[in-house]
Amino acid sequence: MLLLKKLHKWVGLFIGIQVLLWLLSGLVISLLDPVKVNGRQWASPVVTEPQYIGPTALLEPAELPTEYLKDALSIDLTIQHGIPVYLIRHSDGEHLVSGIDGSLVTFESFDAQKLASQDFNGDGEVISVERGMAPDMETRNHSGAYWRVNFSDKANTAIYISISTGKILERRNSYWRVRDFFWMLHIMDYAGHKDFNNPLIITVALVAIWLGLSGFLLLFGSFNRHDFFFLRFPGKRDDVVITLFEPGVTGPRKVVLRRGSNLFLSLATHGVSLPSICGGGGECGKCRVRFEVTDLPDASGIDLLLVPKRLREKGYRLACQQIVENNMTLHLSEGTLTPPD
Amino acid sequence: MPFLKPPVVARTLHKWLGLLVGLQVLIWLATGLYMVVVDIDFIHGDTLVKNTQQPLLVPGKSAHDIASLRAQYQDATKISLRPVMGKTFYTVTTVDHRYLVDPQTGAVKLPLDENTAREIARYHYAGEAQISNATLISSNPPMEIQTRRLPLWRVDFDDRFSTSFYIDPYNGSLATRRHQYWRIFDFLWALHIMDYEDRSDAHNRLLIFAQFTGLTFAVTGLWLLFYSFSGRRRKKGNVVI
Repeated sequence: MLLLKKLHKWVGLFIGIQVLLWLLSGLVISLLDPVKVNGRQWASPVVTEPQYIGPTALLEPAELPTEYLKDALSIDLTIQHGIPVYLIRHSDGEHLVSGIDGSLVTFESFDAQKLASQDFNGDGEVISVERGMAPDMETRNHSGAYWRVNFSDKANTAIYISISTGKILERRNSYWRVRDFFWMLHIMDYAGHKDFNNPLIITVALVAIWLGLSGFLLLFGSFNRHDFFFLRFPGKRDDVVITLFEPGVTGPRKVVLRRGSNLFLSLATHGVSLPSICGGGGECGKCRVRFEVTDLPDASGIDLLLVPKRLREKGYRLACQQIVENNMTLHLSEGTLTPPD
Repeated sequence: MPFLKPPVVARTLHKWLGLLVGLQVLIWLATGLYMVVVDIDFIHGDTLVKNTQQPLLVPGKSAHDIASLRAQYQDATKISLRPVMGKTFYTVTTVDHRYLVDPQTGAVKLPLDENTAREIARYHYAGEAQISNATLISSNPPMEIQTRRLPLWRVDFDDRFSTSFYIDPYNGSLATRRHQYWRIFDFLWALHIMDYEDRSDAHNRLLIFAQFTGLTFAVTGLWLLFYSFSGRRRKKGNVVI
């Protein structure tokens, strides 16, 4: 137990802040509504009439300029924005080629502005259109040139339109950016915000598991059945009387405690605060009290560690290590019972 | 009850909150550990597949070209060229059907039969193991292909990963692949986000409640560290009463 406690404390000291950050960032991520985060909240619902390719005369794929066909992975013929187009996919990106004359179809900034405005149904107007190259922070799962269409809404929406296909690559907004910041904290990838198999988080996670395991085991030691007294029949009380003496205080003070409870904690809840730094954790060794010889319990491992032999022999024990069993008499250090001013 | 001193409050809170969410915090740490340690590309099955980026051989002029397909399928909304086992096929999408057409013969092969599904799976499988089973899944999909369009051929391999390939019988593509470590990941993810049904909703109340409690738990833990370590420092110079 002692060793587990030490492990728990030291691991906590080194990575406690990160565990706190994991819980905090996890909480923030869960609290954010995913529909707002991915921008669907302000995206027009897609109602598409089927766009039949129809009988217009078209170029066959083999008739398209060879430069587009080289190393193509797939080709799709569809109608987009009213014209038949071939979408040609390569390992490094996609291109649209007109099915009518084989020319490359690209999207200009005003096209992008129009497409983005059609999609966005939130409360705001287009304020600017910028050109950029994916992948960057907000378009990390794409590649190729894009138009970033910025809106004036409260959520600072930016809709990314691919220059080569006119597709909406991403809808980003403040919700996403907040989420992404906390996601970065959560996965500890401070540069790319996406690699959760990075060596730093692996190391910290391998350490943190010991915090969890030791804490879980300590949980069993820190509870006894008397902690659950409130589950028992009401009215069935089992009390003992503790008589307290303090030098300089005339006459003893008696407190009635529940049998089986922790001496330190029980005294504290009855207004007798023993000196302590750690709050009853068996770590600071401050809560020592002197037992009458007739009541003297055996010294615990922590008593052996924190109470000098000389004092143990005189009857000193740590109150936080004692369970209230029988009526007993204790001698406290000066100032303990002095009522607060 | 009289006013308790801060360290006593912190210790009591830490203990009882630990009882309340300690197990879940341990589950978060353990499931998180698995997810960060096991490489996500391996989880996605990238190491189990091959021939997925095959360049397309564009068919030349023939009797079975796009013009003829458009005449045949007048309600086509999309006509694609895709490689199936290295050979190029047309896939025609209409409002409610999909067709796979051989550009050389014009033959329509649909839906793909078990042997073809096995062959396609074999073609994309990077391992050495034999196929143990093939089933056509048309309804009640297993959780691992919950969001996929059915029907799909499920082809199981007899390897140590319990690999399953899902082949689309309407276009001959490898729709997805799953294996034991993916399935473990998915299960642990459900435990991590406490969505035991759909395994996808991280915005649920149970999780948020547990996170609030867990956060308080962590704060009391850090708070206690302060007392633990300051007690340690002063121990030596203790004045004996």
